[in-house]
Amino acid sequence: MGLARYVALRVGWAAVVSFIIVTITFGLLAAAPNPSVQQAATQAALEGGNPQEAVERQRQLRGLDEPLHVRYMDFLRGVYTLEWGWSDYRSQPVTEALADAIFYTAQYSIPWTILTVLLGPLIGVYSAANMYTWRDHAATGFAFFGYAIPNFFFGIILLLIFGVWLEWIPIVYRTEVPTFSLANARQLAVPVFVLVTGSIGAIMRVSRNESAAFRNATFMKTAKAKGVSPLRAYAYHVMRPTLVPLSTTLVGQLLAIFLGSSLLVEVVFGIPGLGRLTFNALVAQDTNLVLGATLLFTFLAVVGNLLEDLAFTVLDPRISYDDRDL
Amino acid sequence: MPRGRHATRETGVPSITRRQWLAALGVGTTTALAGCSANDDGEETGTTDGGDTTDGTPSVSGTYDTVTASSFSTLNPLYNTSSGAGTAIGRALDQGYTFDLDGEYFPLLYDMSTDDDGSVWVFEIREGLSFGDPYGAVTAESFVYQIQELHQTDWAATAQSSSWDGVTVEQTGELEFQAELEQAQLLWPESYDPLLFPIPRALVEPYVDEEDAEGLQQDEDLLNLTFTGNLGGFVLDEWERGAGTTYSRNDDYYIQDIDEGPDLFANAPYFEGATIDVVEERASRLAALETGEADSAGIPPERFSEFQEKPNVSTYRIPQPFNRILSVNMRDNGWNAGPGNLFRYIPFRQGLAAAIGKEELIAGIFRGLAQPHFTWQPSWSEWYPGDDAITQFGVGDQYGGEVARGLVEEALAESEFDYRFDGGTLVTPEGETVTLDLYHLAGGETSQLIAEYIAGEFGDKFGIDVTVEAIDGVRFQRDYWTGEPQGGTDTVNGEEVTWNQPTPNNPGPRSVTSAESWDMSIVYGLNTYPQNPLTNQVFFDGANSFYNPVGYYPEFDAAGIFQRAREASSEEGLQGPFTELFENLAAEQPYVMLAFGDDLVGYNPDLVGPAEDFFNGWDFPAWYFDE
Repeated sequence: MGLARYVALRVGWAAVVSFIIVTITFGLLAAAPNPSVQQAATQAALEGGNPQEAVERQRQLRGLDEPLHVRYMDFLRGVYTLEWGWSDYRSQPVTEALADAIFYTAQYSIPWTILTVLLGPLIGVYSAANMYTWRDHAATGFAFFGYAIPNFFFGIILLLIFGVWLEWIPIVYRTEVPTFSLANARQLAVPVFVLVTGSIGAIMRVSRNESAAFRNATFMKTAKAKGVSPLRAYAYHVMRPTLVPLSTTLVGQLLAIFLGSSLLVEVVFGIPGLGRLTFNALVAQDTNLVLGATLLFTFLAVVGNLLEDLAFTVLDPRISYDDRDL
Repeated sequence: MPRGRHATRETGVPSITRRQWLAALGVGTTTALAGCSANDDGEETGTTDGGDTTDGTPSVSGTYDTVTASSFSTLNPLYNTSSGAGTAIGRALDQGYTFDLDGEYFPLLYDMSTDDDGSVWVFEIREGLSFGDPYGAVTAESFVYQIQELHQTDWAATAQSSSWDGVTVEQTGELEFQAELEQAQLLWPESYDPLLFPIPRALVEPYVDEEDAEGLQQDEDLLNLTFTGNLGGFVLDEWERGAGTTYSRNDDYYIQDIDEGPDLFANAPYFEGATIDVVEERASRLAALETGEADSAGIPPERFSEFQEKPNVSTYRIPQPFNRILSVNMRDNGWNAGPGNLFRYIPFRQGLAAAIGKEELIAGIFRGLAQPHFTWQPSWSEWYPGDDAITQFGVGDQYGGEVARGLVEEALAESEFDYRFDGGTLVTPEGETVTLDLYHLAGGETSQLIAEYIAGEFGDKFGIDVTVEAIDGVRFQRDYWTGEPQGGTDTVNGEEVTWNQPTPNNPGPRSVTSAESWDMSIVYGLNTYPQNPLTNQVFFDGANSFYNPVGYYPEFDAAGIFQRAREASSEEGLQGPFTELFENLAAEQPYVMLAFGDDLVGYNPDLVGPAEDFFNGWDFPAWYFDE
């Protein structure tokens, strides 16, 4: 099977998976009681009206009286044409709410991801190269300190030190600050630092252990014998095989952190990103917005998984394809 | 930083009715004027251009910024029901009126008067009020149209619909209209029911023609307040969902031309701009206050003295009408210690009240930053019956083990079950120690301390074993505080009472209960409505009152008292029924009353205007930064 065919099949499978997830979401949604219908019934009861009539009217208004297959087709059409409805919690279209939130999330998550992907393996390999020395312990300690300390708490401490005591960073996040400006870098520096230190621990550890296996490999001995500098030897001969297993876990790990840690960091630093949007939508029982966020994360996960698989096939030279020249 | 007339407190959960939401909106305006806030840019805020202008008024300088814990769901004035968003709307759009520091009605957009006993009210619109282009002048027609075509119709379901139910509105002039009430209300303005935002007729007319409620809720002009003309101190520049709002000064603010109010209104407002930032984390809000990024922020009691010491923060204690109460469950799923619910006996509730030392509670937990609570009004209310008229349980000779046990003994004598004291311990008919649960709000340090103090007092005074449990506010609301409305009948004081319109907060007689059983809670505080105590009829006008989660059956003629208050033809005539009401509530302790915690606010010390008064902020347009 050629690489192109594999990629095409993999992309096709991702589309099927996303379709299945959307269908399951619809099923769950159809089975769950609709809060607006319940609310209408309660309101009617409070005002001395007929709750049953109010329920019927609300169901009609929301198209819930249509047959299931019609609703399903409408739902699919809406999902794939990005007509995700109106968010009552934000008083704006769901797609607009998500786009706004992604804009702010991207501002800290892109540098965070880049730094994590760069620093994690580097520290891991550095640690392996200096295994059991004080440098190894220092690097491991640094990585695990960030991993162990809760982001929420760490964020508040850093805010206290750098915001209140030293007054190097602003306390309140400003959305009107230009994206590419020093002021924005200043207000995002600490949230990014908190997230990077929180996420490199696991990556560093995997990198360290993976690369340790190659330290004394034959090809390393050959490289050293040929006079290759240690830096070059590690960069070329250790880093690449180390990245192969790492690439299979990276997306999953980052997504998990993305959903959990970023919410807490957004709360502490007041960043109106996806974490806060999703959490508040859940609390406010904003069905459309919760659904939109779920679909977004689903697509992110599916696409991330796809990229992970593709990266794996490109990075691992042991996987061969008919049309591959690598 | 909630302040004002919300129906419930502590968790920010929804209030009782739209009527009360409107009350909250009223506070929204007051708060908007008050501006519980935080500034953001220390370089701008608090830095004035220096001193006064040639006419003696302060110069316009700086930005006035607010931090708030939660974001706004809507800024549409017709549909907003939260006080936080009310503040955000109020920056750019005034409502009809407010109350000054003396609690006197102060007209903003319109004056209200009544010639009779409060059944017909005349609204006089101020001259010179104007919407933004193309909507023109604010007239009586715009208000009458709003009331009749939006608030008094079924399809629109605006936030104010219940306020205008049964009110006959008629335009009587270009700038005048009148409202006739079904039942006279001398304190109608104090109920905040007649409080309106001005909305242009031409803006809403297309939706009225189509009966398009969804379109009305989602209208961009309403959501972004683009029609406000000269009707607010600031113009809304941007509403960034989830992050907050930014405003710039409105040079044409109508308040500059009015005759009433302080001289400072002549060039109001005195800030170049304003912002409201959403900062959910309390530590971050306090940090912003401390660094000067915030002009004001709420301060928790445990950190108030710390902030009092800081030279860069001015601290204020502002009285407010929300109480701290111990709710005891008189329904069938309450008093789970044994047979027969002792909470139903007045002497027992009095005994509980006498067992809790209010002065100790206030000194120890509120750091002295609260007032004792004896009846359903704070002592600063003009309707408070006076210290001598009521028994002050929990202080002086009405506090202590002896008096508390004496009252409980009275209750035990009334009970058909053989509860008794075994030494200092209250035991069940089976001889087991009485064990009760007490819920408090999870995550609230003050809440937990109060619960533990109460548990300690009951342990000391009665030997009762109280289990203190933390609970999430939403869960308590859903599973404990509300029930599925069922209605029914019960015999109350020898008369048969029917629950015709049960509500989630009073689903029926005591036999109708919430999903989960519970004994006692301090999760919610309630509003005592000191401006218009008639509103308290939602709590106390009988066993089947609108809001009665604890299943309280008054043993005095509460409904009759409220009826007499409604029929009073003068404010003096109201004093009698209200005094009687509050004397009875002090005696019956429908909720065991504990304290009124002050609102604790820190302001930028350069800010001139805040006052330690319930009506703090009514003159917000006159606030300014001084060097």
